[in-house]
Amino acid sequence: MPLEQVVSAMVGIYDRSGKGLDQHQWVIRERPVTLYLNGREMVTLLCAGHHLDELAAGFFYAEGFLRSPEDILGIDIDDGAGAVNLSARGDASITEGLWQKRTITSGCAKGSLFYFSLDALLSKPVKSDIRIAPGRILDRVEDLNRLSETYRRTHGVHNTALADPDRVVLFRDDIGRHNAVDMIVGHVFLHGIPLRDKMLITTGRLTSEMLIKAAKVGIPVLVSRNTATSLAVELAVSLGVTLIGHVRAGKFTVYNGQERIDVGLSG
Amino acid sequence: MSVYLDNAATSFPKPKAVIEAARRVLEEVGASPGRGAHRHAREATAIVSDCRQKTAAILGVKDPDRVVFTKNATESINLVLKGWLRPGDRVLYSAMEHNSVARPLKKLASQGVNIEMIPCSPAGAPDLGVLTQMLRSEARLVVMVHVSNINGALMPVAEASEVCARAGVPLFLDAAQSAGVQPIEAEELGIGMLACSGHKALLGPAGVGILYVRPGLDVLPLMEGGTGSRSEELEQPEFCPDRYESGTPNLPGLAGLCAGIGYILETGMNRIRNHEIGMAHYLENELWQIPGVRMLEPERRGSGAVSFVVEGMNPADTGSILDQAFDIAVRTGLHCAPLAHQTLGTFPEGTVRVSPGFLTTIENVEYLLNGLRWIVTRRG
Repeated sequence: MPLEQVVSAMVGIYDRSGKGLDQHQWVIRERPVTLYLNGREMVTLLCAGHHLDELAAGFFYAEGFLRSPEDILGIDIDDGAGAVNLSARGDASITEGLWQKRTITSGCAKGSLFYFSLDALLSKPVKSDIRIAPGRILDRVEDLNRLSETYRRTHGVHNTALADPDRVVLFRDDIGRHNAVDMIVGHVFLHGIPLRDKMLITTGRLTSEMLIKAAKVGIPVLVSRNTATSLAVELAVSLGVTLIGHVRAGKFTVYNGQERIDVGLSG
Repeated sequence: MSVYLDNAATSFPKPKAVIEAARRVLEEVGASPGRGAHRHAREATAIVSDCRQKTAAILGVKDPDRVVFTKNATESINLVLKGWLRPGDRVLYSAMEHNSVARPLKKLASQGVNIEMIPCSPAGAPDLGVLTQMLRSEARLVVMVHVSNINGALMPVAEASEVCARAGVPLFLDAAQSAGVQPIEAEELGIGMLACSGHKALLGPAGVGILYVRPGLDVLPLMEGGTGSRSEELEQPEFCPDRYESGTPNLPGLAGLCAGIGYILETGMNRIRNHEIGMAHYLENELWQIPGVRMLEPERRGSGAVSFVVEGMNPADTGSILDQAFDIAVRTGLHCAPLAHQTLGTFPEGTVRVSPGFLTTIENVEYLLNGLRWIVTRRG
């Protein structure tokens, strides 16, 4: 993260005795960035404000407005105004009609796990032969922690990494865990990085939204030092995603997909 | 474009004559049929009589008084099952039945009625060989749906009726999906009892059910009350239809039903059936060509209902997207027929059901197909 994303603030430090101490402290910068699609205002994200091309591409791809990098005609960033316009080819009106629409079911059968129609449309079971030794998972989570200089300075960001069993291939951080994931998604989308042999590591909670985002782009393993929600576990089962949480002190919890954990592999 | 493809649930839009008939009752006739001698009451009585005659004609029943009006097919079915079966009786029912049959039977089973299922093929056809064997032991009733509400499968009613007649067991036909599109000659076929609704293919408004009981079958009424006949007696009349028709009937509904049947007789049931089944065949042919769509084709088709799933997608999601993105109305899930979905191998998520009606156009079906193609393509 560029240093200008971190700003210095004068703060007071107090303890029980009431003794105050004024000092400089680094805080993460927060700013609104509005994403436009073909000139139409779509959403305003509160973010740290870096890698905005990846953020926009990742957001619109994960939301179903883009199908391939060729769909992107251009990404115009107005940093000062906090605006990104992504020009895309094709008619997105049907997708736009479904965007953020809640699924409606009748209760006349086993219902859908999805809350949003576009999630239901775009999430497919993830197929991957990846097998990872437990030690590699612990190593890559340690890498994630090591890589975030901003976190060490500010304690104000979520870290996300795309990794294969041997190394972290991409790292992003942001004040919002979704933004950090969208940047990763945007990068792999723009650069055509294969995902079937990768895991996504995040410092955020493993929620349904996080799981769906991973499944939509085809990432087979989702890892966090945090815990999973019930819906995330149900979706992981349904979509075949290996869901690993609570990676701490040399241990982790596998909520689903233990077949991808290879205890016979060294690591 | 807004497209309604849920005619198996209830037909829509209704013919103008149906709307006009119901409106006329509410605005001009009023009155309770069979109650009172004033002009309004007489006209109301005449409307019910006309409706009864037309209903008898379309069901192949010579004596209109054997036709009973209820509030819906479910009430007609409950009336027969609870008025005919007693603890210790044995009843056979097909594995394609709707909950309107399955749930009352489940209740009766808890009260000592022995219920046994007649197996069906994975396409929904009942095994008449097994039925024949099952009828070697004493039974009180056989219940069979005429046309499946899920995939439009037409059951071999004539053959089943023959098997039942040989065993001396009445056949109770659930004609909810067939009345109005399939010719039914209830008396000629030797049907024991028949239940159907007035608001599906018979094109009437919701709120009217129909029941036919063959003379000689002593089905007890579900309830007693005022009938407008023999009011000096405290016992329920024994004659049909008064024995089963207590309380003021749904006159606007009956007037609408009468007009709906009139529309069918005028248009020709064959023409209506050919149109609906033609739409279903067109739909099936096109659906085969969409990758990832799996259909539940019947061996013999009796209505326009077509069921399918988009592989890997909950039918509820497919239906929701068709509704939200394209304004297309289809029915998804189990269609109140979990037994039938178990038979067809689509339990517990069910299917997407598309059911065209007589007023459905080829453009409507094409619009649906384009919506499905978009879903499948977009899903990748």
